[in-house]
Amino acid sequence: MPARYRIATLLAIVTMVFSAFAPVHAAEGSRDSFRVCWSIYAGWMPWAYADKAGIVDKWADKYDIDIEVVQINDYIESVNQYTSGNMDGCAMTNMDALTIPAASGVDSTALLINDYSDGNDGIVLKGSDDLTDIEGRRVNLVQFSVSHYFLARALDSVGLTERDIETVNTSDADIVGVFANDDVNAVAAWNPQLMSIDEMPDSHVVYTSKQIPREILDMMVVNTETLKNNPDFGRALAGAWYEVMDHIAKNDEEALEIMAEAAGTDVAGYREQLDATHLYTDPAEAAELMNDDELLETMQRVAEFSFKHGLLGQGAPSPDVIGIETPAGTYGSDSNVKLRFEPRYTEEVAENR
Amino acid sequence: MSLVQAKGLEKHYGRDVVLERLNFSVEPGEFVTIVGASGCGKTTFLKMMLGTESITRGQLLVEDKPIPGEPGPDRGVVFQKYSVLPHLTVLGNTLIAEELSRSKLLGKLFGSRRRQAREAALERLTEVGLENALDKYPHELSGGMQQRLAIAQALMMRPRILLLDEPFGALDPGIRQDMHELVTRLWREQQLTIFMITHDIDEAFALGTRVWVFDKWRDDPHAPEAYGATITYDLDVERNREDAPSQAKQIEEDMHS
Amino acid sequence: MKRLINLKPRRAARVALALLPFLLIAFVYLGVSNARHAENPNDRLLPLPAQMAETFAGMATEANVRTGSIPLWADTAASLQRLGIGVGISAVAALVFGLLSGGLPLFRAPFSPLITVVSLIPPLAILPILFIAFGTGEMAKVVLIVVGITPFLIRDLTGEALRLPNEQRIKAQTLGASSWQVMLRVLLPQLTPRLISTTRLALGSAWLFLIAAEAIAAQEGLGYRIFLVRRYLAMDVILPYVAWITLLAFVIDQALLWISRWSFPWYHVDEKAAS
Repeated sequence: MPARYRIATLLAIVTMVFSAFAPVHAAEGSRDSFRVCWSIYAGWMPWAYADKAGIVDKWADKYDIDIEVVQINDYIESVNQYTSGNMDGCAMTNMDALTIPAASGVDSTALLINDYSDGNDGIVLKGSDDLTDIEGRRVNLVQFSVSHYFLARALDSVGLTERDIETVNTSDADIVGVFANDDVNAVAAWNPQLMSIDEMPDSHVVYTSKQIPREILDMMVVNTETLKNNPDFGRALAGAWYEVMDHIAKNDEEALEIMAEAAGTDVAGYREQLDATHLYTDPAEAAELMNDDELLETMQRVAEFSFKHGLLGQGAPSPDVIGIETPAGTYGSDSNVKLRFEPRYTEEVAENR
Repeated sequence: MSLVQAKGLEKHYGRDVVLERLNFSVEPGEFVTIVGASGCGKTTFLKMMLGTESITRGQLLVEDKPIPGEPGPDRGVVFQKYSVLPHLTVLGNTLIAEELSRSKLLGKLFGSRRRQAREAALERLTEVGLENALDKYPHELSGGMQQRLAIAQALMMRPRILLLDEPFGALDPGIRQDMHELVTRLWREQQLTIFMITHDIDEAFALGTRVWVFDKWRDDPHAPEAYGATITYDLDVERNREDAPSQAKQIEEDMHS
Repeated sequence: MKRLINLKPRRAARVALALLPFLLIAFVYLGVSNARHAENPNDRLLPLPAQMAETFAGMATEANVRTGSIPLWADTAASLQRLGIGVGISAVAALVFGLLSGGLPLFRAPFSPLITVVSLIPPLAILPILFIAFGTGEMAKVVLIVVGITPFLIRDLTGEALRLPNEQRIKAQTLGASSWQVMLRVLLPQLTPRLISTTRLALGSAWLFLIAAEAIAAQEGLGYRIFLVRRYLAMDVILPYVAWITLLAFVIDQALLWISRWSFPWYHVDEKAAS
């Protein structure tokens, strides 16, 4: 092979590698094709139905765009996909929206608040039904996840701090198996693992997210600039989501069955999970939460917790380094707003009814 | 009393007869060289002498007792290859014989007992001319030196019988001549009884006091496995020294026909 | 011009050729990383070298407020201890069982089929069983490494023992060796250097099992840290940690090779001739 061809080949390979990792200019200009991702969780199962039943396609067609809904098996991987720019939107919690994309400099907007955990997160002790007995124990949990935040809130409620316990990072897939072991006597977990742990002998759920309603929020987060340039993308997602919510509000067996199947359970099992999840089937109610002062307070608490654990970046000087904008006001730096709560699209759905 | 005796000795592999009609008696101090076409059962016979190959029928006796079914220190051996241990030095390869017999648990000697054993090993190594290569590993030795070491090692236990399986087959002719002198000298000095397999008929006649030719006693072209080899010629070379060259020539022609 | 198979680089050219792929990777990385940072100065996926150096220096010098220990060293000590104990137990067990299996046909007959089957079980698939049996502490992590690599080591050592020329065993017996002495003085010394070289190969799997164990439940360790910070995409921690693990693995590998060459010069005859 002549030398110049070799160089050409080499350049071609280098270019290929470059383009695989190069920044995705997802945000630039107006487009007509989008990708959003989600992972298995009670509050996000409606996306499975919205995708399968063609509801997303129907709404996308209405605005003459194309939206691909991708299910990703690993939650963190799905968030990372969004953060690295491969996705235009992703289902995630309010805390992860702050600590992963926002803290990575990706300006993100909470387009929809789908639900809040109303018992889906819990702390389980062996041999005691009193939360104060957690003092001095080793707690297995997914560190730096909402479980960790939730644990901190629980400790706070009985006058303890994280210094009074030890934490063991445990993968969520293995937490049930780990709890079966004799040397483990405290865990913080979420559903469906929480239910399995609760069924084990001598286990007591001593604290659940029922006690801190409207704090652990599950949302659809999209890239702010993409949304700004393509408001129809937001409209289509909101429209599709609340159409599915109508099915749930009407107790549509067929819809529930598809969601249950995608979650790997049956309708009864899925209903049980939904009981611990406060789904906002009414857009007006969701919009109300977005506009409320309470949300601002919650996000401040989340930011402070995240800062304390170094989740806002190693070099972050203070908890308010990242600005969080809600209709009720902005917490933190005005010049570095990276997480926004935008009720407009939810309100539009409510108004159109 | 004969040292080694065979009475109607046979070896079969299933229906395949390898050796049969083996009858002989060997006196102490004889040097038996064994020749024959490849695949004629020479090595099988040597393995029966070693004890690593079982006897199908008949008897193989050493001092009127059946030969043990496994190798032992009364029968030393030198193979064409792999006779010495690659992980031990020249000294270690000879010393190990003393160590194995005098330290049953560790197989290793220390202090004054080691010094005594070292003396014995040194004596053997001097006999074969390796006294200047004590700390060398086998891979650092030439083929001839490796076989010298193998011989010194085999003689450490002062066996009465020494079994040699084509020990010089891989050596250059010049070195082979030196080895012949060495083996002859050791055989005389230590009153060994030697069984040596070789494919070189001149070597067989030059070294042996007795030459055995192994061949099939009957050949059936329709059933080649039905008849085994036996000793077709048993020549007393010592008594007929002057006839040896012509006899060698005759046998060579027979084997090739 | 000579055939391609006969063209050998000279010393200087060889060094340059060895460095070339690394430089190429570094070049590509820098290019993409800079491009991403021009777009978003806070990008975490491909941190700039300065950023990684700063983070790594912090991990190596600043004590964690809560635990009081310096993360990098605490993680390294914890992981190396687990790896050392796990690989150590595996090596000793492999030597003992390889020796018995390779030396005694009566032991090999029932043992060898069992170990062949056991070595085919993927250890990560039976994790819950390991949890129940060995807890979730240090023991479980060490056991995962042991379960993961011992059957492979035993199979390899048994094979090696069987590949040793039978002449050696016969010769030793003609020198009066007992079964025990044949294993102790003929097989053991020749299996030991093989064990070292096979362990070098198995170290890759050992690291894999270690990191998998630390990802499941742990309070410190290199794998623990990587899986922890993966939660918020801290590639500025993960990439230097990966480099650090690679360096540790390389040093351990070379140390084993050096020990083997120094202790068993006869074992390395062929490779010297080849190089």
